[in-house]
Amino acid sequence: MTVSSRTSGDGKELIIAIEERFDFSLHQQFRDAYNRVTTPDLTFILDLSQTEYMDSSALGMILLLKDHVQLCAGQLIISRPSDTVRKILEIAQFQRLMTIE
Amino acid sequence: MPKNQKLALVVDDSKMQCKLLSVLLQEEDYRVVVANDGASGVDMYIEHQPDLVLMDINMPIMDGFEATRRIKKLSGVGTLAPLIFITSMDSEQSFIDSVEAGGDSILVRPFTPRVFKAKIKAMQRISDLVEQVKSLQQEQLNDAELAEKMMSGVIEARNFALDKIGVIKKAATIFSGDIQLTALCPNGDINVLLGDFTGHGLRSSIGAIPVTETFRAMTKKGFSILDIVAQLNRQMYTLLPGDLFFAASFACISEHDKSAYIFNAGLPEGYLFSDSGLIKNRFNSTHPPLGILPKLLPDAQLEVVQVMKTDRLVFITDGIVEARNKSGDLFGFPRFEKAAIDGIFHKKLVDSVLNSLDDFCQHCDQEDDISLVEVPCSGWQAVELSHKVAIPETFTEEEDFFVTTPDSSPSWTYHLHLTGRLLKTINPIPLVMNQINDLEGAGEHWQSLYTILTELFINGLDHGVLALNSSLKNSAEGFSQYFNERSSRLDKLAGSGIDDFIRIALQYYPLSHGGKVVINIKDSGNGFDILDVMKDNSIAMNDGLKLSGRGVELVNQLCDTLEYQEQGTLVTASYIWHNPVKLN
Repeated sequence: MTVSSRTSGDGKELIIAIEERFDFSLHQQFRDAYNRVTTPDLTFILDLSQTEYMDSSALGMILLLKDHVQLCAGQLIISRPSDTVRKILEIAQFQRLMTIE
Repeated sequence: MPKNQKLALVVDDSKMQCKLLSVLLQEEDYRVVVANDGASGVDMYIEHQPDLVLMDINMPIMDGFEATRRIKKLSGVGTLAPLIFITSMDSEQSFIDSVEAGGDSILVRPFTPRVFKAKIKAMQRISDLVEQVKSLQQEQLNDAELAEKMMSGVIEARNFALDKIGVIKKAATIFSGDIQLTALCPNGDINVLLGDFTGHGLRSSIGAIPVTETFRAMTKKGFSILDIVAQLNRQMYTLLPGDLFFAASFACISEHDKSAYIFNAGLPEGYLFSDSGLIKNRFNSTHPPLGILPKLLPDAQLEVVQVMKTDRLVFITDGIVEARNKSGDLFGFPRFEKAAIDGIFHKKLVDSVLNSLDDFCQHCDQEDDISLVEVPCSGWQAVELSHKVAIPETFTEEEDFFVTTPDSSPSWTYHLHLTGRLLKTINPIPLVMNQINDLEGAGEHWQSLYTILTELFINGLDHGVLALNSSLKNSAEGFSQYFNERSSRLDKLAGSGIDDFIRIALQYYPLSHGGKVVINIKDSGNGFDILDVMKDNSIAMNDGLKLSGRGVELVNQLCDTLEYQEQGTLVTASYIWHNPVKLN
């Protein structure tokens, strides 16, 4: 499994982590990781610290996640992207659309 | 005999077995041909192209395994005539060997007729599925080829100045999700777009046609590049599903103004190279790709740079820098920049980048579409300056070529008074040109009028309302200072009231063989000392340059008359054109 998700101890965060390549082949897995989670006020953390590469369809998948998070009035944080991935996020200027830390 | 009756080939050295299998197959409505050894089995296969093959293993001349290998080699990847081994060798090894040789199934004797027939049905089901997939694939291929033909043949073939622009376009599949557009503005500037839809293939191309139409239509009408970007963003936001978007770089290159206006929304950095291969500017992405946000971000603005005639502007998509070699390394920016600079030395940027990419990737599969545009900063067709009146020599004095209406009153007038904030947000020239087109129809001669209006309006705004000094633009540092100052003064206008204004008035006089437009543009600025630079209230052509930069020189050439009044805050220009004269 290159997509894993878990809820934090206090139940306030859903952490989705992607390993290795984040591309279209993870489409279904990625959706499954958040689709049924509709708890209001939840913080969705997308952990990209173990992601080595990301393509533009992954950016599209993040936008779908963002739509989902907005629907449940939650918050989306992209966490610790590697330099390569950060560069891709910066080219797409995603820091203007969501929090990247 | 019905045409769709299937044909089976039975290969067995026992005539008895052949007879038995043939009968069973005929009961299942197959026609049957028979061979008694492997070698003639292969020959029969070539001759008859059967739909099903039954193969014995132990045979003289050539055994079943070898015959199967040869048949499977012949039948290629896409076609499947199922091949079933019929054998008495009930061992694990024979089963494995059968599959290794290319057999699709194995049936071990003894079996009942019912089991045999069930097996045939199952195999036929599989081969029907393969057929179906094959025809779907073919259909998809046809669609993609049609779309590709449309893109390259119809959309991109209509690009402006194709011969002057360097292009790389390598699609990952048949159809590229990247799009490259160029179009000529009414005033002779050129607009360039390089865009990349998310993903690749047919799915990524649904936006290509609306993008092309909008880009061309708005360029033709004289909208600014930022207006075009904003409209494309709105359009893509409405059109594309949530996970699809359009990363694109835009440029408007003005040869006579020696400047380029750039906007990069989500593509890797763009470059301005000097002819010696120096990277003069990099244009980083400053905005998310189009189609994600309903409106552009409020701080979205163009980057303005000064360009030399010999400079070259280069945009790339991420397919280049993210191309991989066998060990999974990325081609990356440094390799790209080195190849581009090497290429500029030899005036072959495109070839150099392509060669470098090929050397690096060898024959690795291409994962994404690869695109580049390389645009020279000069060499577009010269602005048409020949719309001034030329009275044909054949006309006699009795026949006045330009007969104005007796009372000399205009057939229509048009006023537009823009104040404060609107001066920052509205470009009035396309509005005005639209009105003229609606009233008088389209025509080539409007191009010159467009240029006159644009130059005079910008002069009024920059040097009148915003009180900017155009001499700043003469040096490279001053150039960017000028545009920084311009945008900060424009921001201040947003808070001001109606005291800051520009008023545009047009009067139209039809002439018997053409027409005349008188343009008045008044601004709220402090003006300038006209007497210093003008004689008799009309600008001598040579003084025009000193007055307010390059623009006025151009306008003076296009106009019939050009006058400044009211301390330089009011300019009156008249423009006359004649319809093409038909010489009989």
